[in-house]
Amino acid sequence: MKAIETKNLKKHFDGVYAVDDLSIKIEKGTITSIIGPNGSGKTTLINTLSGMLEMDGGLVVIEESQKLTKIKPHETPAFGITRTFQTIRLFEQMTVLDNILVVLTERQVFKAIFDKHTNYHLKIAEELLKKVNLWEKKNDLAVNLSYGQRKLLEIVRALAMKAEIYLFDEPFAGLFPEMRKIVVSVMEELKKEGKTIILIEHDMGLIRELSDYVFVMDSGKLLAEGKPEEVLKRKEVIEAYLGD
Amino acid sequence: MDYLIHLLILFAIYAILSLSLNLVMGYTGLLSVTHAAFFGIGAYATGILMAHAGFGFFTSLIIGIVLSGILSFIIGAILSRLSGDYFVLGTIGLNYLVLAVFTNWYDLTRGPLGIAGIPKPSLFGVSFFQNNYFLILSLAFLVITFFISRFIVNSSFGRALKAIREDQKTLQVFGYNIFSYKLAIFTISGALAAIGGSLFASYITFINPASFDVMQSVFILAIVVLGGLGNLKGSLLGALILVAFPEFLRFIGFPSEIAAQTRQAIYGLLLVVLMLYRPQGLIGKYKL
Amino acid sequence: MDIIPQIIVNSLIAGSIYSLVTLGFNLVYGATRFVNMVPGVLAAIGGYTVYYLFNQLGSNLYLSIIAGILIAGIFGYLSDHLVFRKLRRNKASNLVSFVASLGIFTMLQAVISILFTSQFQSILDVTQSPTTYEIFGATFTWIQGLIFITAIVAFIGLALVLKKTGFGKAVRAVSDDEEVSKIIGINTDKIISWIFFIGSCLAGLSGIFIGFDTGIRPTMGLVIVLEGATASIIGGIGNIYGGFLGAFLLGFVENFGILKISGEWKPAISFGLLVLFLLFKPEGIMNKKK
Repeated sequence: MKAIETKNLKKHFDGVYAVDDLSIKIEKGTITSIIGPNGSGKTTLINTLSGMLEMDGGLVVIEESQKLTKIKPHETPAFGITRTFQTIRLFEQMTVLDNILVVLTERQVFKAIFDKHTNYHLKIAEELLKKVNLWEKKNDLAVNLSYGQRKLLEIVRALAMKAEIYLFDEPFAGLFPEMRKIVVSVMEELKKEGKTIILIEHDMGLIRELSDYVFVMDSGKLLAEGKPEEVLKRKEVIEAYLGD
Repeated sequence: MDYLIHLLILFAIYAILSLSLNLVMGYTGLLSVTHAAFFGIGAYATGILMAHAGFGFFTSLIIGIVLSGILSFIIGAILSRLSGDYFVLGTIGLNYLVLAVFTNWYDLTRGPLGIAGIPKPSLFGVSFFQNNYFLILSLAFLVITFFISRFIVNSSFGRALKAIREDQKTLQVFGYNIFSYKLAIFTISGALAAIGGSLFASYITFINPASFDVMQSVFILAIVVLGGLGNLKGSLLGALILVAFPEFLRFIGFPSEIAAQTRQAIYGLLLVVLMLYRPQGLIGKYKL
Repeated sequence: MDIIPQIIVNSLIAGSIYSLVTLGFNLVYGATRFVNMVPGVLAAIGGYTVYYLFNQLGSNLYLSIIAGILIAGIFGYLSDHLVFRKLRRNKASNLVSFVASLGIFTMLQAVISILFTSQFQSILDVTQSPTTYEIFGATFTWIQGLIFITAIVAFIGLALVLKKTGFGKAVRAVSDDEEVSKIIGINTDKIISWIFFIGSCLAGLSGIFIGFDTGIRPTMGLVIVLEGATASIIGGIGNIYGGFLGAFLLGFVENFGILKISGEWKPAISFGLLVLFLLFKPEGIMNKKK
């Protein structure tokens, strides 16, 4: 079953197409990597799929049933989508714990006024934060954590959404090896649970190790696709990177 | 002693105003320079209904809260699509518009002449004419406002407000309709400010448009910024300091005609100094 | 229908005054990117300097005007030197700079009130009937004519400076991207100081003209800033040409608007326009949508 699929997806900025007629299919329960030189449109694709940018054309299909020509950002959780960001976007002047609690508690405005987090929420937050060794820092402000800790916090915030489809934008960038291992194990665990992961990455070693499938983008278009070892050998792919 | 009671009543009124503004500015991160408009609606509602239509204080208070809530809902709806600089400009413009209504809708508000002879409240036959009774009433409302604010701030809604302040675009992706949150808090804030307005009208017994201009909004903003954004106790502290100060000036013999302007010069300077050296204010939890 | 020419003339005068404000406003906004309230009080400073020197001390009118412009310019320069430059160094947000500008505005306005009382003053003696001219059935005074000519000259002068001179190129570079300008060796602090000085002189001049045309009071600054901001946003914020266009558009809309609505509601027209543009066309008429 295709967890998510794009058909002729388009996104342009002042006439320049960052995502140009892109049609890709992501199989459920897999880890799919999107790679390509800088400016090829990978982050724009993620931004469009998560509703942060408006689609200019084409279709997005969720679980082979929901056909979307418009994605509103606050509706994406209902479609089972969540994400992390290339440039970290945490709630900086809030505590680590609050960063997690805010995605666990009631969303509806009127209910939220009379809602307060419960022990149940705290337990979930504890379990998640312990996975990345951040539970002791739960009362620290997000802005005061180290770079690696902030990246891990973002990942855990996404995990707290209990989504079906995870969009990770360069989650490994700038992480030390020990932290990378944690992120890898998080992703492998998600895969075991049958979740779908779309990964933007530059590290070819990680791509080979983790991905079930790879899409290569260049100038907004799909350049190549296939299994990692095979795609990474192709001439056009290597040229696209070298020509960058 | 009488003087102290007078100061405390003014403190209570401005504390209510700054608490309600802090909800919007300190917790939600919206720089609003129109709070005096909601203050004014509460004051005029009470003034008109009590002095011209014979309503009781508590009835006119409730009507004032509702009217102010409606106005802040409308203003909030208009402005919530704007961000940053444009939001601020919009609030100033709207404050000015509301002021124009107070000044020009002569039939209702008697324009620049203002409304005089606003009576003091009475409840079950007990009149609050005496200032110490009025003080108790004011403090009671302050306590109510404080607890409502605290309840909101400690709720899941309150946490979401802080996240809106930090990064509203990101919060959307996690399932929050930020427009309805911003609109809700703006409405609540405006409604609470009206309480201060009603108390003000009844205490001073005379109101005119001059009390509700943009400079008044700036004064309330200065209280919030001084006390500290994102800390309710900070609003109390800020109100205490900025209300007591000019009265202190008058006490040590400053000529009263320029006491008000001196206060204005001081809190203007204070804003500059705070922005340069301590943007989180005295005990704030958040920097602009 | 005979009043139409008069309304047109009034619109042109109003537009001229607004355009002096917007020229300064856009010049400074282009380089600093935050809404600055200080020009409002600088207009008051300009007007009150002339009032003090000319009306109270009896000095020469033209020297007083030059003094008024320069003093406003100096205060504006100081606001940058003492406050805004430090905030830029601290990488303060736009809102912090706005609040600081609000503080300066509030403080200076209060000081003017203390020194000159809150009363409304006129600079020129209204009992002396000024020389009037007639055009197509509308009358205007020589002062009003001067205002119009000054606005055109200021606009053309500024546009030429920006386009043709080395200084103008530096200004445009800094407005485009301060970081990059620093890298290519432009002393951005100095350029911004000059931008503040020039913009502030223009603000002071607008206050002086308002003083001639109607009068001055310490609180005149707020309306000036709002009208200036409205005109700038209508025309396209940060854009000199847009500001000029927006200023005259605003002048026309206001003056034709009061045909239907009574004069006291004039601010309501401008701020209604402001809100409409902020909501539906925030980039203004001459800017491209971002």
